[in-house]
Parts: sequence; C-alpha cells; structure tokens
Amino acid sequence: MRALAFLMVPSLALAQQPAVARINVTPSAPRVVAGETLQLQAEALDAGGRPVPGATIRFQQTAAQFEGAVDDKGLVHAGAVGTIPVAVTAIVQGQKPVIRRVEVAVLPGPAATIVIEPRALKLLAGQSMQVSGHVFSKAGDVRPDAVTWTSAAPAVARAGADGSITAISPGSAVVTAAAGGVKESLRVEVLAANVGSVTLTPSQPQARTGDVIRFRLSVKDAAGKEIEGLSPTWLLAPGHGEIDADGAFVGYDAGRYTVTALLGARSVQTTVTLTPRDVRRPATVVGSVVRTAFPTSEVWVHPNGKVAYLGTHLGGDRVYVLDVADPAKPRIVDSVIVNARMINDVMTSEDGKVMVITREGADNRKNGIVVCTLDDPLHPKPVGEFTDGVTAGVHSAYIYTQPKFGMHVYLTNDGTGALHIVDIGDPAHPRQVGTWKTPRADAGRTLHDIDVRDGLLYASYWNDGLVILDIGSGIKGGSPSNPQLVSQYKYDLNALCKQVEAVGGPGFVRGTHTAWRHKDYVFIADEVFTLADEQLLFNNRPARAYGRLQVLDVSDIAHPRPVAFYEPEYGGVHNVWVAGDTLYMGAYNAGFRAFDISGELRGDLRAQQREIAHVNPSDPKGFIPNSTMTWGVVVKNGLAYVNDFNSGLFIVRIEPRAPVVP
Amino acid sequence: MIASLPSVRGRRMVRGAAGLAALLAALLAALLAALLAAPVFALNAIRAQGAPAKDYLVFVASESVDRVALIRFGPGGAAVERERYVGWAPTEVAGPHGLAMSPDRQHYFVSTAHGTPFGRLQKYNAATDAAEGSVMLGNFPATAQVSPDGYYVYVVNFNLHGDMVASDVSVVAADAMVEIARIRTCTMPHGSRLSSDGLKHYSACMMDELLVEIDTRTLAVSRHFVLSAGKEKGVQGAPQPRGAVEHATHDMGGHGMDPPKPGDVSCSPTWAQPSRDGTRVWVACNKSSEIVEIDTRSWTLLRRLPAGPGVYNLGTTHDGTRLISTNKRDQSVSVIDVASGKELARVPTTRKVVHGVAVSDDDLYAFISVEGSGSQPGTVDIIDLVTLRKVASVDVGQQAGGIDFWKSEPARR
Repeated sequence: MRALAFLMVPSLALAQQPAVARINVTPSAPRVVAGETLQLQAEALDAGGRPVPGATIRFQQTAAQFEGAVDDKGLVHAGAVGTIPVAVTAIVQGQKPVIRRVEVAVLPGPAATIVIEPRALKLLAGQSMQVSGHVFSKAGDVRPDAVTWTSAAPAVARAGADGSITAISPGSAVVTAAAGGVKESLRVEVLAANVGSVTLTPSQPQARTGDVIRFRLSVKDAAGKEIEGLSPTWLLAPGHGEIDADGAFVGYDAGRYTVTALLGARSVQTTVTLTPRDVRRPATVVGSVVRTAFPTSEVWVHPNGKVAYLGTHLGGDRVYVLDVADPAKPRIVDSVIVNARMINDVMTSEDGKVMVITREGADNRKNGIVVCTLDDPLHPKPVGEFTDGVTAGVHSAYIYTQPKFGMHVYLTNDGTGALHIVDIGDPAHPRQVGTWKTPRADAGRTLHDIDVRDGLLYASYWNDGLVILDIGSGIKGGSPSNPQLVSQYKYDLNALCKQVEAVGGPGFVRGTHTAWRHKDYVFIADEVFTLADEQLLFNNRPARAYGRLQVLDVSDIAHPRPVAFYEPEYGGVHNVWVAGDTLYMGAYNAGFRAFDISGELRGDLRAQQREIAHVNPSDPKGFIPNSTMTWGVVVKNGLAYVNDFNSGLFIVRIEPRAPVVP
Repeated sequence: MIASLPSVRGRRMVRGAAGLAALLAALLAALLAALLAAPVFALNAIRAQGAPAKDYLVFVASESVDRVALIRFGPGGAAVERERYVGWAPTEVAGPHGLAMSPDRQHYFVSTAHGTPFGRLQKYNAATDAAEGSVMLGNFPATAQVSPDGYYVYVVNFNLHGDMVASDVSVVAADAMVEIARIRTCTMPHGSRLSSDGLKHYSACMMDELLVEIDTRTLAVSRHFVLSAGKEKGVQGAPQPRGAVEHATHDMGGHGMDPPKPGDVSCSPTWAQPSRDGTRVWVACNKSSEIVEIDTRSWTLLRRLPAGPGVYNLGTTHDGTRLISTNKRDQSVSVIDVASGKELARVPTTRKVVHGVAVSDDDLYAFISVEGSGSQPGTVDIIDLVTLRKVASVDVGQQAGGIDFWKSEPARR
C-alpha cells in the first residue's frame, strides 16, 4: 500500500520526503525449520526513527538458492538446512536505495532418528569402548544435539556421558541414546574376562606399502573355546598408516608395524613388515603434437589404435584428426570443423564406426552434438546432429551399446542438468529415447560427466555427488528409455575443499566432475578452482587447480562408501582412465600421473607410494607456454595418449623398471 | 593527399595555358601524393569520409573467450587499447554477454551468462579495470543497463540454458552490488532498455511475442504488449506465465540466425528500445524482420516498419532522429530515419552474426559488435553516421557481443 500511496505523491512532496536512515527488520534474528515458512517484516525509518512514508520495501534472496526461496514480500520458504541471506531494500524515488542484509538461519527439523556406531558391542568385563550417536531430522539433516547415554543395566555395562561404554560384569545390557525425544538402543553383551588365550594373526606378515592386511583376532576362554565377535580397540605403531574398525590395516612407509588389539586388561600384539611398494618407473614422451591456436580438450583414440581425435576449447571449433600409426611421429591429417566454440568431449563407439562430438558456443546458439561416421577413421564424416532440448550445450557424451537396446549416446544438458539418452543406431537420424534428472530443485542441478559399465551409468552430478542409474543392468529394471536410480553418494564438498576457500577467499568452484567404474570401485574426481586467479589467467599464467580423487567401494551398489583417496601436493584431479591395475590421470597442474591400484584400496594412495609415473607435459610453443594443465588420458596398446590443455597431445610410454646397477 | 582534392578542384576555374599547366601540375602533385600515401591508404580512406577529430573509447565483451576489450578509435584508426579477463576458471567459459557503463562513466558492468547454472553481474573500474564487485543473478544474465541516476543495474535473465519457462529481470543496487529485486516477466527476456527518465524498463520476450514494461518506481510489471502481426494489443499488468509444454514446439530460430519457416509470421522479439523522448518504444522483430513502433502513452501500435533481415539489436542517436539496427541474418547494419521510418542506409559489416550497437556521445559514430562464427575473431565495426559508411574495423576476442560507449577525449596523435 505504501508503494501506491507513493505514486500519488506530488514531486514536490517527494523532494521534501525524509531520507531513509535505516531499516528495521523483524524478527531480528530470523530462524526457521527446514520445510516451514517464515514471514519477515520490515519498515523504513528516518534518522529520527520515524517511519518514512512512501518508501517501498523489497525483499530479495541474495544466495542459497539451493536451500530455499524468499519472495519480494519477505515470505521465506525454507527448503534445506543452511543460511539464506536476504537483502531488504527501502526504495524512495530519487534517493539512493538503503539496503539491510539479514540472514535467515534454516535449522534442521526435530530429531527423528539416532544412528549409533557401532551397531552392537560384545565386550569382555573390564573393557571400555567409545561409541558415537548421530542425530538426524526426518529429512536426514544432521542435528547438533547432545546425546545422552543411559544403561538399563549399569551393573553389566555402564554408559558414560561421552558415549564410553564400560563393561562391568557378564550379562546383557541395553544402552539407550536419547536426543530431542528420540531414542535408539545399543545392545551390549558382556562376557566374563576369564580369557584363556588371545592371538592376533595378520592375513600376511609381510606386504608392501599400500597393501591391505586384515587381522584375525582369536580369543579363547579358559576351556579353549573360541569367543566369537568381540569388539577390540585397535592401536597402531608407528602411526604412518591406518587401521579401520574392521581390522583392515594399510601402512604408508616401509618398516615394522606393531598392531595391538585391546580388550580391557587383555591385549595382544603382532607385528607386520612392510617393504617399499617399489612401483615407480620411468616414463618417456615418445611423440607429441603441440597446439598453439586453441587450448585442447578431450582426446580419444580410435579402436584401431592408429587414429586419435583431439577437441579444442576456449573458442575452438574443431576436432583434430591425428595419424598416430607411428606414435613417434603423430601428425594432424584432417580436422572436423563444427558450429561451436568449445568442443569439450569426443568419443567413438566400441566398434569404431561412429563418433560423437559435443558442441558449446554455436553462433546460432543451437548446440548439442554432431554425429560422424568413420568409414575412414582418418576422415570422419559428419552425418547428423542432435539439438532438441540441448541447445544450451552438451559438455560430455558417452556412447554405449547394449545388444538388447542398441547403440545410444548419453548426454549432459548444460541448461537443465538433465541426462539425455539418444538412439544413434542410425547416425544420420539421432532420436531421443529418454531423459533423467536428479529429483531436486532445478537450482544447482549440474551434470558434468558420464561413465557407463555393464548397464550401470555413473553420473557425476556436481553438487549432488555421484548418481548411479540402471540403464540395462537388470538391477532395477532400467533401460535407456527408462533409467532407474540405483544409489547416490553425496558428500560435503565445502568441507572437503575448505583449504581452497582459505587460500582464495569465499566462494569457489567445486563439484563432482568425473567417475570411472573399475571392479568393485568407482573413482570419482572433483574439479576445484579458487576464484582468485582471474588475473593470472588473463595474463596467460597458470592458475592452480585443487581437488581430490575418492575411491568408493561399490561392492554393495546400493550403498557406496569411501575407502581411499588421492590428492596431489599441487594441482587437481581431472579425468581418469583405468587399464589393468593402473589408473591414469590428467591432474591439471600436477600433470600426467599413473597409479598402481592393484589389490584392495584403503587410505591415502599417495602416501602409500602407489604412484608409478609422472610427466609434466608442457611446451614453449603451447597456448600458454611451459605451463602444465593436463586434461586427461586414453590408454591404447600400452601407450598413454595424454592431452594437455595448454600444449596439445603427448604420447607417453611407461618404461620397464630400470635395472639396478651395483 | 586525397584530402587536398577539393582545393585542386577549386582551381579548375583558372583559364589559359598557364592555368592549364598549373592545373596539370596540381593534379600530378595530387596523384603523386596519393601514391606516396598508399601504405596508409586505409587511414586516408577514413579521413576522406571524415576522420574523427578526437578519440572515442568503447568497451566490448567477447563471450567465448571471457574477455572485455577497450577499443580506441581516433584519427589514427581503431585499435584494442587493453583487455581484461572476466572469467572464473581456466577450463570453463563464464561467457560475458551484456556490458553497461555507469552514467558517471566511472564503472562498467559485465553480465557473465554461463554459470553452473547461474550467471553473475561483475563490476569493474573503467579507468583501471580493477574488479569492484560481483553478484550472482539468474540463469543466463544477458542485456544490462544502468539506471540514469546510477543507483541500479537492470539485467535480463535470458534463461537460454534451461527449460522454456518464464524468467525474470534482476535489479541490482550498483554501489553495494546486491540484487534487490527479481521481477518475473516472460520466457526468454532479451534485449532491454530503460526510458531516458529511468521510470520505465522495457524488455522483449523472445519466446512469448511480448514486450514487457516494468515501472521502476514499484519494480513491478505495469503493462505488456502483444507483438504478433495482426494481433497487436496493449494490455495492462503482467502477462500470464506459460509453462514449458506450451513452448515445446516453439522454434527459437537459431537465436535469430535461421530464417522463419514458410508461413511463420511471428515476431520473435529480440530488443526493446524506447525513443529518447519516451513517447515511443521500438521492438526488433527478429523473425519477421520488422520494427514494431508502439505509442507509450496510448499503448497502441503506431507502425510496423520493414527492417533488415533478422533485425536483432537496436540503438538510437542521442538527438533521437536515427535508429540503428543490427541485422543478424544479413551481415549488415541499418540506419533508419525515425521520422519517416525509412532506411537511410544498409552498411555491410566485416563478418556475419552482427550483435550490438553503441553510439558515440556526439552522434557521429556507431560502434557495432560482430560475433563472427566458429574460430573467427569477433569484430567491432565503426560506422560514420554522417556518411553512413563503415570507416574502421578492429578484431577482438571471439563472439563479440555486449558493447557500450565509454567516453570521448582529445585525440592521441
């Protein structure tokens, strides 16, 4: 109503209108529970604290679009836990606007569940064990509630205020964790401490750094009968490694380690010896093609191993076709020029007959993909394109053929974050058969990359982590036209990349960028940059990437869980490729890296010396001279085709171990 | 020098042998001078059409390479004076699209359109290129303009990179760089401009066949206008939002690059330009290649003016007599006489995909951004608004789009 009144005020009156000095907002410390609404009120006041007639008040959410929404009247719809900043503006025609910033705290809903770890305890009398309780709202948001612990049978097991459980005497006890009216129980079984013998046996007494050794704890009573399922506390010395609650140990340095299983007054130790992993090998650049005109993006090698394709970035409109039959003398023999200014991805079908090129930056703003046939792999022939619904641009594409469903290309949509599935059985006439997107608010949905193995699609969903879809594996009845969600692994990117904010200031680029399924693992890599390097970039100087490679154990595909990681000392983690027991990586500033991923994976892969080879591709004639920014790698016939964003293609051979000359 | 020819011609009135000899000598001298000047022929050509007496400075954004270039055009021709990187990551493109100067000429604002998925408005110091602030806006922030009082920046969230649903216009407090309002308008709000008094904001809705007017005093949509030929109608209030399904078959026409299909008479508006006196607003109908002229008082159609193929962006001279349009499908720029509605000239541009217009403070020159195609550079063409000819051209980063005039100053010789 104030706005209407203002419109009728003569201009003379406007000139005499008092200036807005401040805005009073109520409630003064706004808080709202996720899923609920809150009405903000505001009033424009002059220097004397009197309301300013005719001032228009506007509310505008200034960030946190993923967490909720605020309308222009100040009604807050809280969607998820976090903080919603709101700009409250008092507008008087002819005066500079006055802005008051308020933050609405969105709190988790009431406590709904408590998850106790571990789920059960079997202790010897006299043994103590620390347990933890995590409180969640109905929506699964973590709550900060303090958990109280009580034991229904304190004579059997005593519960400390901090969650320490002390076994007193044989029997069973139910320990209850309580928070905010919610309770969860933990069954504690206490056995007499009349232990006869305790032994601890490693799965192997000697191993290499990085090998996972599992320990078997055998406890027998005085009669020699095995006591199964006891929960020991594990100790490790020296500490250059880790041992999990399940007794899986991995050591980072060569030497002797003492592992102790603690059972109250009883303990048992054993030692294991680790030798160096000794996988380091020399690497040789056998050939290269340096490019200057554009940065270069994705590299792909035709299944015949004689032809490579190289995309162009930052204004690039072409895919170079390289004859690599002689890897020592790679040469450009053709190029496919398309209507684009960024070709982020290129890939051929498994049979080598079809190639897909992604397009972004088209002059008519109709992006999408170009489909080529490869009757002559050295001279791809564009025969079709697909733009429907993906005119915003396609960043990544993956071609996958299933005998039951035919050949499809799986596309990322820059605009909507949706996955598009396009039948390219007839390359000249691509036909969309399905789409899928994460069930969330549109804001913040970004799909960056796709990998497919055995009918399961691994989608790198940036803010939403890794999403696994069934597109024909049979697990969930999915198909290309009807993908079915299998599971999702979402993690706290902000917490994981905290150091980046510390270095480059608030706000930074980070997201789940790529994924690769190998055996029971999925390797996921984050893309991380600070926002502080713009001047470096403009001056053609290298900007620093960050990032972490996480190894997820997907042996239970419904519940992916992180088990290992790699983070370069300087640089990021971009695209990966796995061949045999070797993981190859384009690590941006950290160059080209190769890792031994044989055996079980746990802990810090870098610390345990699993790195096999490292090359820093760069060239004085590069787009940015002498500046390594390695994008990715494709491995074919024992050679790594490494693309560097700033310098072009490098063909790398990892050499046999150099013989030791006494 | 070619510039000396008028004085030679003036001596044609001399009679007799001596006069003839003098005339021949003069002609030979002129010819010799022209030959000697051959290496700087281009510069002389400019001077022949009226070389600028001072320097003009223009900022232009290149969407594909995340750069803003400052162009200096003066007696010595046109050149890139300096460039500024405006992106955020080495391996992603931020996509600078709109560019707007503050009225006090101290700052320039750049909308970076691409985002993940939201774009930003960034503020820079015009003299030093120093970054002065940044704020996240909506999906694909595009055309930007600062209000005449300098308090606000209006940016349309074009939402090219999403479903075809109603989008909005962001209003940013220019000092604090805080978004203070986001006003829902229509689907794909595109080229937009404020009235000279700053009280009205007009934007074209590319996928809705609409012109939308925002009352800047209330920051709400006040009126809209249906632009389709034969269906022209002014309506009070905001348009009804339409869903993505209703747009599913709507052809975006390659963002102005594809000619309309047979029988398609739709407008597909890409720019709204109020007249200097505020009595009219012109809308570029990109598909039908027309300019719709609307009376802002009666909110009725005045004229449908024929325009160049794929008319895209518009600009006016400060004296209000001329309208300049970029013709996206024609590789040309049209200069139109406002009073008669007639095209005075159609000037070819250096490259195709013609984008934006900025007019010099003295109305002598129009600066045209040209996107180019693929790996071609972007270009700024400079058109002499007296001779109606292109007088200079300078290449900038790829996909030159947003452009605005900064200032003129004494020539650097």
